[in-house]
Amino acid sequence: MTTTVKVPELPKRTKKLYAQDIKDRFISIFIGIFAVVWVFPIVWTLWSSLRPYSEIRAGGVFSPPQELGVFNYASAIDRMELPTYFTNTVLITLPAVFLILLLGSLIAFVVTRYSFKFNVAMLLLFTAGNLLPPQLVFIPVFKLYLLLGDLVGDRRFLYDNHWGVILIHVAFQMGFATFVLSSYMKTIPKEISESAMVDGASVFTHYFRVMLPLLRPPLASLGVLMITWIYNDFFWALVLMSTDNKRPITSALGRLTGEFVTDYNLLAAGAMIAALPTLIVFFVLRKQFVGGLTLGSTKG
Amino acid sequence: MLNKISGHEVDRRLLLKGAAAGGLGIAGATMLAGCASDSGPVTFGVRTVDESPMAQAQAIVDAYTAKTGIEVTANFTESNAFQNNLSQYLQGTPDDAFQWMAGYRMQFFADQGLLVDISDVWDEIGDQFSDSYKIASTGSDGNQYFLPQSWYPWGLHFRKSMMAEIGLNPEDIYNWDDMMAALEELKGQGLIGLASADKGGWEAMGTFDILNARINGYQFHVDLLAGREKWTDDKVKEVFRHWEMLLPYMNTNVLDLEWDGAMQLLLQRQAGLFMNGSWFGANFLEQSQEDYDDLWIVPFPEINPDHGRDTIDAPLDGIAVAANGSNDAGAKEFVKFAASIEGVEAQLSTGIPLTSANNLQDTSAYDPFQKQQLAVMGEAKYITQFLDRDTRPDFAGPVVGPSFQEWFRDPSSVDSILESMQSQWDALPPL
Repeated sequence: MTTTVKVPELPKRTKKLYAQDIKDRFISIFIGIFAVVWVFPIVWTLWSSLRPYSEIRAGGVFSPPQELGVFNYASAIDRMELPTYFTNTVLITLPAVFLILLLGSLIAFVVTRYSFKFNVAMLLLFTAGNLLPPQLVFIPVFKLYLLLGDLVGDRRFLYDNHWGVILIHVAFQMGFATFVLSSYMKTIPKEISESAMVDGASVFTHYFRVMLPLLRPPLASLGVLMITWIYNDFFWALVLMSTDNKRPITSALGRLTGEFVTDYNLLAAGAMIAALPTLIVFFVLRKQFVGGLTLGSTKG
Repeated sequence: MLNKISGHEVDRRLLLKGAAAGGLGIAGATMLAGCASDSGPVTFGVRTVDESPMAQAQAIVDAYTAKTGIEVTANFTESNAFQNNLSQYLQGTPDDAFQWMAGYRMQFFADQGLLVDISDVWDEIGDQFSDSYKIASTGSDGNQYFLPQSWYPWGLHFRKSMMAEIGLNPEDIYNWDDMMAALEELKGQGLIGLASADKGGWEAMGTFDILNARINGYQFHVDLLAGREKWTDDKVKEVFRHWEMLLPYMNTNVLDLEWDGAMQLLLQRQAGLFMNGSWFGANFLEQSQEDYDDLWIVPFPEINPDHGRDTIDAPLDGIAVAANGSNDAGAKEFVKFAASIEGVEAQLSTGIPLTSANNLQDTSAYDPFQKQQLAVMGEAKYITQFLDRDTRPDFAGPVVGPSFQEWFRDPSSVDSILESMQSQWDALPPL
C-alpha cells in the first residue's frame, strides 16, 4: 500500500491530467467553433463596410480588395443625418426607460408588499400583457391614437408624436419590468417592510426611502436591458409615426437603402454605426447586463 | 413631504439621475409635436432617399415656390418604409401631396376614399399625357386620382459589345424560336443565357407578366390579375410551360440572387440577356459611362402572333393628393405644377436624365439608351404596371411571390401551385 502511495502517484496524476486535457481541448474547440460562428457575421460586416460597392458589383463579394477605407462611414453618417435621428432615439428611449422603471417598480412594490384581494391577479394581468405580439395590436393602437387625437382636435396629439411611441413602449415593457422587479422584491426580507411600517412610514415613504434604495441592482440591470430593447425598436416608430425625420436611428438605416439599388457596403457601415451605442452600453455596464440575464430567476 | 423625499432620493441615485435627464428630454419632445396648418403652405411626401430623385423632387418644390411664393415642405421617406406604411400614413396625418404609383395600387386606396379626386386637374393639363396614362390614373369610379411623372419599360437588356463579339443581333430576336436559338447560342459559348433572380419574390413577376401577355394577350392578363380569370386555367399552365423552357438557360442560383445579383451577371459579362426594368441603367452609369453606353434594350419576343408584341410592363410613378391632408386646394395646384411640363423642366434643370410621362418633354435631348426605351415603349399598344402594382397587395406579396419561388424549386409541381394560388385568391376577404 505504501508503495502504491509513494511511486505510482506521478504517472497516475499525469494520466488524469491528460484525460482532463483532452476534455478541455475538446471543449475549447467546441466553444471556438461557436465563437467563430457568432463573430463571423460581425467581422464580415466590418470587412464589407470598408470596401466600395462598385468593386463588389464588378467582381463579386469574394473578389480581392483593391481599395479599403472608411469612406463608407463618412457617407453613411452624412446620409443617415445622424444627429437628427440620434436625437430622436434619445428623446424616445430615455423618457420611456424612466417611466418603465418608475411605474414598473411602483406596481411591483404594491403587488408584493401589500396583500389585498387582487394582487396576484394584477401581477398576472401586467405580465400577460407582455405576451401580446405588437403586430397583433398595432392597428387598434393606431386607430385609438387617431381617435384620441381627433377628440383633442389635433391628430398629432399621440400619432406621429414622440410621446405616442414612448407611451406604447411603456405599456409593452412594463409587464416585463413588473415581473422582474416583483420577483426581486420577493427576495427582500419582509421584516424590513414590517419594521418600516411599525416605525410609521407611509406607503410612499416606504417605497422611496426603504424599497427603492434596495432595488438599485435590478433597476440598473433592467435599465440597461430596456435601453437596448427600445433603442433597437423599429416597428412602433414605423407604424405610429408618419414623418420620417421624427423617427429613431433604426429607421435612419433605411435611408441607406434605395428603392431598387441597395449599396450593401454602405449599409454595413451604417449598421456598424447604429450598433455602436448598444455595444458601448454593453461594455460599460457589462456587470449589470449579465446580472440582468439571471434577474428574478431564483424566485417567482 | 412626498415631493421633498422623492426629489432628494432621485438626485442621489446614479441610475435614476440619468433617467431624470430623460425627463428634460420629454420637454423637448413636446415642443417637437404638433405643427399642422390649414392654409397656404403645402407638404409633399417624397418616397425616396436616393440622391438623384431627391434632387429632382427638391427642384420641383423650389421652382413652385419661386413661381407662386407658396411654401412647400418636402418630407423624404425611404421607399420601402413609405410603401409598407402607406395605409396608416393615408389614414393618419399624411402630407397634402405625395408620390405614388399608378394602376391598381392607386385604385386600392382611391376606393377607400383616401385619395382626392383630381379630375379637374386632368381637365386642365390632361392633353399633356397619352390616353394610356389617363387610364392608368383612373380609379374604379371613373375619376382620376393620380398624375404620372415618370416611367421605365421592362424588356430584354444586353451589352452591345458582347453580342457583337458572339455575332448575335438581339434586334433580330423577333419571336420565340429566335429567342430559343439565341439562348442556345449563348449557352454554347459557355454563358448564362438569361440572367434571372427571384430572391425578393418580385423579380420574376416581370417575366411572368410578359409571358402571359405574349401568350394570352393583354385582356386575359388584366382579367387574371383582377380575379376575373382563374389561375388554374390551361392558359396559365401554358405560360409556365414556356417559362420552363427558359429554365435551362438561366443561372442555377435564381433563388439566391436579388435583382442586382442578376444585373451583376450582365455587368460582368457572364450572362447574355437580362429581363428587367430599365431603371438599372443608372447602376451601369454609376459604374462607368462606357458600361452605360454599352447597354441596350429590346422588347420581349412575340410568342402568339395574335398578340404580337403589343403589351409592355411600364410602371408609372407619379403624384397624388391625400384626402386626410390639411390643404387639398393647395395640394391640387402643386400636383398640377409638378406633373405638367413646368415640373418636368424643373427636374431637367438638375441635369439628371429623366424619362418623363409628359408628352411635351423634348425627347431629342434623350441619350441613345433613353431613346431606345422610348422606341420599345412605342411599339406597345397596351401598358401594364407590373404584377405587384396590377393586383391586390394582399395577393401579390404574400401569395404570388412565394408561389413563383416554389415553382423555381420544383417546376413539375406547377398544377398544385396554381391550384393553391387560386384557392388563396378565393379565400381573400372582399374589399
